[in-house]
Amino acid sequence: MLRAAGATLLLTAASMPLAVVFGLALAAMRISHRRMLSWPAATYIEVIRGTPLLVQLFVVYYTLPQLGNYLQTDLLPRIGVCLETNPLTWNNWAVGIFCLSANYAAYEAEILRAGLQAIDPGQREAALSLGMSERQAFFIIVLPQAFRVVVPPIINDLIAMLKDSCLVSVIGVPELLFKANGIGKARATVAQMLTVAAALYLTLSLGGYALGRLLEKRLSIRGAPELHVDQPHGH
Amino acid sequence: MEQTPFLNRRETILEVRGLKKSFGPKRVLNGVNLKVGKGEVLVILGPNGCGKSTLLRCLNLLEKYQEGEVALRGEVISRGRPEGSGLSRQDRAVECAMRRHFGMVFQRFNLFPHLRVIDNVMSGPINVLRMPRDEAFEVARKALCKVGLWEKHPCDPLTLSGGQQQRVGIARALAMNPDIMLFDECTSSLDPMMTKEVFMVLRELASEGMTMLVVTHDLDFAREIGDRVVFIENGVVSAEGTPEHIFEAKPTPGVRALIEGSLYETRLSRA
Repeated sequence: MLRAAGATLLLTAASMPLAVVFGLALAAMRISHRRMLSWPAATYIEVIRGTPLLVQLFVVYYTLPQLGNYLQTDLLPRIGVCLETNPLTWNNWAVGIFCLSANYAAYEAEILRAGLQAIDPGQREAALSLGMSERQAFFIIVLPQAFRVVVPPIINDLIAMLKDSCLVSVIGVPELLFKANGIGKARATVAQMLTVAAALYLTLSLGGYALGRLLEKRLSIRGAPELHVDQPHGH
Repeated sequence: MEQTPFLNRRETILEVRGLKKSFGPKRVLNGVNLKVGKGEVLVILGPNGCGKSTLLRCLNLLEKYQEGEVALRGEVISRGRPEGSGLSRQDRAVECAMRRHFGMVFQRFNLFPHLRVIDNVMSGPINVLRMPRDEAFEVARKALCKVGLWEKHPCDPLTLSGGQQQRVGIARALAMNPDIMLFDECTSSLDPMMTKEVFMVLRELASEGMTMLVVTHDLDFAREIGDRVVFIENGVVSAEGTPEHIFEAKPTPGVRALIEGSLYETRLSRA
């Protein structure tokens, strides 16, 4: 059971940084004045936010390999291309981490976008006026300040992801809910096991809040008014 | 237009020729011509929205302009480009290098709040000039001493008063050792006491021979600090001369309106 809690933790710990990095790229594209960049990012964000994570998991885990197999065994031979056919399957851990991070990236992108836009444009101008490049202005001056603003909502999402990670049990990743269910059914103690699972989720979440408060304290700027980013609508 | 003797005595350091700038369909600067002598303090006056700040921002390309050119010591450092034309990687590098000639001081200070005072001042030398830390520290120390704020170097910028923040802003620009300092309404968000503080720093810089372009609304400030005043109206330089000339002769209706409007304001505040 503790091992399973570890798996949940691992899923989250692997997915959240990926989500933030991917989200940052999306946010940067979204803010861009070039349509070629902002459009795909906006579309991605809306599609991901507009469909349930569970459906996304099913699509990636079941539908995509089926499509691939169809391509291999049916479509390609018909146009004269023959590949060595071995049925495609995904590693369920990889799909779990991929889906969680791809899904949360859309939300993190919106948080980061709001965070970046909350920073006074004068900051960028001041950096440029010193001779910094756009890239330096972004990474040395704007991003660190935006980071401070987005920590609370991102920690919020981290905890949400910790709980959402139970969804990947449907593709057989042995995380907390999956194990609780399994052990419970084997020993006919489902109710007890689910209670233990709930307690473990709660413990992990509280750990997340503690981490958030620590980060906020570390990053706070003396003399600065409190800045808040409204959490984009929930999951 | 009166040619001031001032320029004849000095070598021209900066020349602006036919600078035109539009924001979309709105033309803001309509062919500005300007010469600045080395070590001169040039005050730029004009009614709100006449493009004073825009002119300053065009000089270091925080705003792109469409026509005209800017020359530093006779060498063209930037040219107008048609709107919407893209910049190559090389253009951007040239732009960055060219901004180093100018030090800019902003109305709202724009200090980096997440960096301590000393790190604000060191940020240019370290990141742009690639100076080693200890060398940059020395440069920053000198710059902060010049504005009289060395004792504040470990503080966070937002804990300082407005006047102190603006002086740190000046030090940050000075640390890059610019040829010309640009002051964009640098006292507009300060009370009279703080304005005085900043004024003293500017006067000291002037006495050391720094070339400065000062955009301001504060006529007393303009009179006291300026070697020469240019008046911008409807996107062009409509009058220029010594402060005495501008304030006594009031050569155009716009100048008169500004000066008398300001007197009216003063009278109101005394009443």
